[in-house]
Amino acid sequence: MSDLVAWDKTISDVNEGILVGLKKPHPSFYVALSISVLCLIIGAICWAIEITYGMGTTGLNNPVYWGVLITDFVFWVGIGHAGTLISAILFLFRAKWRNSINRSAEAMTVFAVITAGLFPLIHVGRVWVAAYWMLPLPNTNNVWVNFRSPLMWDVFAISTYLTVSLLFWYMGLVPDLASMRDRVTGYKRIVFNFMSFGWTGSLRQWHHYEAGYGFLAALATPLVLSVHSIVSWDFAMSMQPGWHTTIFPPYFVAGAILSGCAMVYTLVLPLRWMFRLEGFIRKEHLDCLLKLTLLTSTIVAYAYGIEFFVAWYSGNEYEWAIFQKRAVGPYAFYFWVMVACNCIFPMAFWSRRLRANTAVCFIVCLLVNVGMWFERYNIIVSSLVEDFLPSAWGHYEPTWIEMGITLGSFGWFFTWLLIFCRFFPLVSMSELKLIMPKPLRKKSEGH
Amino acid sequence: MSRYKKGIIASFEYLDDFCSVIKSIKGKPEFLGHEIYSPTSYHELMEIAEDSMGPSPVRWFTLIGALTGVTAGFGMCLLLDYDWPIVVGGKTAGIYSLPAYFIFGFEVMVLLGAIATILGMLVMGRLPNPRSWVLHPRITDDRFVIFVPDVADDGEEAQLLKEFGAEEVYGV
Repeated sequence: MSDLVAWDKTISDVNEGILVGLKKPHPSFYVALSISVLCLIIGAICWAIEITYGMGTTGLNNPVYWGVLITDFVFWVGIGHAGTLISAILFLFRAKWRNSINRSAEAMTVFAVITAGLFPLIHVGRVWVAAYWMLPLPNTNNVWVNFRSPLMWDVFAISTYLTVSLLFWYMGLVPDLASMRDRVTGYKRIVFNFMSFGWTGSLRQWHHYEAGYGFLAALATPLVLSVHSIVSWDFAMSMQPGWHTTIFPPYFVAGAILSGCAMVYTLVLPLRWMFRLEGFIRKEHLDCLLKLTLLTSTIVAYAYGIEFFVAWYSGNEYEWAIFQKRAVGPYAFYFWVMVACNCIFPMAFWSRRLRANTAVCFIVCLLVNVGMWFERYNIIVSSLVEDFLPSAWGHYEPTWIEMGITLGSFGWFFTWLLIFCRFFPLVSMSELKLIMPKPLRKKSEGH
Repeated sequence: MSRYKKGIIASFEYLDDFCSVIKSIKGKPEFLGHEIYSPTSYHELMEIAEDSMGPSPVRWFTLIGALTGVTAGFGMCLLLDYDWPIVVGGKTAGIYSLPAYFIFGFEVMVLLGAIATILGMLVMGRLPNPRSWVLHPRITDDRFVIFVPDVADDGEEAQLLKEFGAEEVYGV
């Protein structure tokens, strides 16, 4: 794909061009960081209130025992999907365009999964005892966790995904840390040498690095697909109408990739401007990302349709009632926002002219993220409010504490991401060189 | 690894020159023990590495890590369920839910497989190496470098490297 890119730079421009931007980002970077920290503080205060006064500060009730906090959890896990998809799956498919955006996608994955991991802790309320509920740790009663519970599967899936994503991300950074080491002196050189493990760029090191990178990608590929499948089983393994359906794993994976790709675009567009990376993260690469977003949007739209069809065709009146109420009931607003943002607005990407318009694409990708949050809210809340027993039906509206924690999660995520971008290259320099024109004498003399 | 060695360093700007020189010095006794450095993993260089070093043993690290992981994942569930059986639906203790344990087997397989792969990359690449010697400041930027041990910078070896297009050759 990148063979079509008309590069006006050579590999000699890569280190200089990318690392110089790190030294002095655009002033808007500091504005973004300040807003992120402010949101983080608001979230921390809301969480402190929730811990102090208990779960009554949230809108959770019987029967709606999962609400915005679990919506946030599923949303952030979904965001974390695109990083490893772009790094691992597109690596195995030899999609060259991924080399310019894989670092930012991987960083997004790591911080998104860390953010997601906070929500089960926030949701349980008494966070200090959560470890005994979530991990098989020895305890005084000698009672182990239930390995047949999808919630336990999720703990293992998410922690494995975080660890493997971190390893993948850091191994990709090693040659770039060595590049940074070779440009500095004094204590910085010692620090970067330590962080890069003393990487020299010898053929031996590259040989084993490439082999290992391929194996990591091969291991991470089924992991990407398994993680959101397992998250979907948190719902699908229950008997709740609206949740108990076999389409959930592929439906969740497609939705996760859609939201992840849209989030990568939403992040990369301003960041490449702040760090002056327009010459390296090219419009052709972003165009490929938008095409992937469009593809996953159509899969998600198909899944929405099939979900409705199966609910009707199954003849299960409880299931069908839930789906009808999603579209016309008290939560219809969330449903139609979801449909519009995830299925209709991304259709703009069929147009090459619109894909070239970064303002339009940025807004559409932002809306996709909104739509994906609404999708999770819609799945979780609209199913729980009305199950088999009309006498147990209820209603749920989030409180400002829950919305404050949600805002704080965005602050937490962006704060870490922006700090990372400030100190480490947002583009994988060693991998970018692979998709740029090779430094060949024959070619050089040919010109 | 070359920290205490003496020899010559030749740097190249062009990949095709570099590949030609590597192929031409292959097997020559006067270039015995030469080391090759590159800013990135060009396919041409990886083929040369595969020819000279064979397939990377990192795959064995991955395999052993993954097999250990799948055993540990299943084993953990079986052992802890044996220690504290959770009787569900009136089924007697001692009936294990192997389909549910598959998740743990898979996840721990990927986890330990990935950790073992990283260990393999480090061990086989002789990393971490905090005392590594940066032969040429532009290896991690845009230059291809050969280090030939135990030869002089005015010898025939240096001359040959220049003929192949080395932009600079100097002794260390």
